[in-house]
Amino acid sequence: MKKETGKTIRELGYFASLGMSVALSIFIGLGLGLWLDKKFDTNPVLMFVGLIIGIVAGFSNIVRAGKKGKNY
Amino acid sequence: MEHPYLFLTSVFGVFGLEEWAASHPHVTYMWLAMLILIIFGWLAGKSVSLVPETAQNVFEVLISGMEEFVVSITGEEGRKSYPLLITIFLFVLVGNLMGLVPSLYPPTASVNTTMALALIAVGWSHVVGVWHHGFKYIKHFLGPVPLMIPLFLPIELIAHTARVLSLTFRLFGNMMGHELVVLILLMLGGMFLAPLPVMAMGVFVALVQAFVFFLLSTMYIAGAIEEAH
Repeated sequence: MKKETGKTIRELGYFASLGMSVALSIFIGLGLGLWLDKKFDTNPVLMFVGLIIGIVAGFSNIVRAGKKGKNY
Repeated sequence: MEHPYLFLTSVFGVFGLEEWAASHPHVTYMWLAMLILIIFGWLAGKSVSLVPETAQNVFEVLISGMEEFVVSITGEEGRKSYPLLITIFLFVLVGNLMGLVPSLYPPTASVNTTMALALIAVGWSHVVGVWHHGFKYIKHFLGPVPLMIPLFLPIELIAHTARVLSLTFRLFGNMMGHELVVLILLMLGGMFLAPLPVMAMGVFVALVQAFVFFLLSTMYIAGAIEEAH
């Protein structure tokens, strides 16, 4: 395999997986918030906290990928 | 959706285990995939010589080509993780391709198998991280500023959980979807070779998904090896 091709495939794999990790991060945050809500009986405060943390986590993935993309 | 006919379930039926085998096809077919890989490994390593012949040639190109690829991503430190990565790649590849053979069930079309593989791959990346950085590996989770630790820690933990889930669902979804489409087309018009184009695409999907799983595990290990941001 040529070096350039390998690099292209690597970037393709990384950036293609980005969308999925954003979506999943949001759902993990939401699920965690809902679970903690049930546990501590604080409906719906922790759900929103979890949702916000999930969204921030998802978008931090994009920001990190953007920083990484600058190096190439 | 039930598979119309499974070869291994009938084989286990001979020993009176049909009920168990029918409810756990991913387990029995995973054993088949392992058996295939062991036989191929034995065939390739049977007569290792300095000047490679036939089977050894193919395996040397595959194994050493992939090794160079992994090392180009992770650096020299990643060479130790290579046996695990290539095993995952070959296992997922064989598992995916089994979906194309009638009466075989691809073990990767079960969420149990893919979740186990993803947990192993991501768990190993953390082991490599601790191995390389010692206790300082925790810096990967804490962000750049000490003041922001309460904010960064949950974010990083969620991002790392998302890695496991995205690896799991990508492989599971692709293989399950392929299996379903083939089954539905077979039911609708099986005698007219209707599922043939989808199966031809399935070869491509099997290759690409195996490679993507392998590539992402490699990149997670590379991320654990590099210095904290």
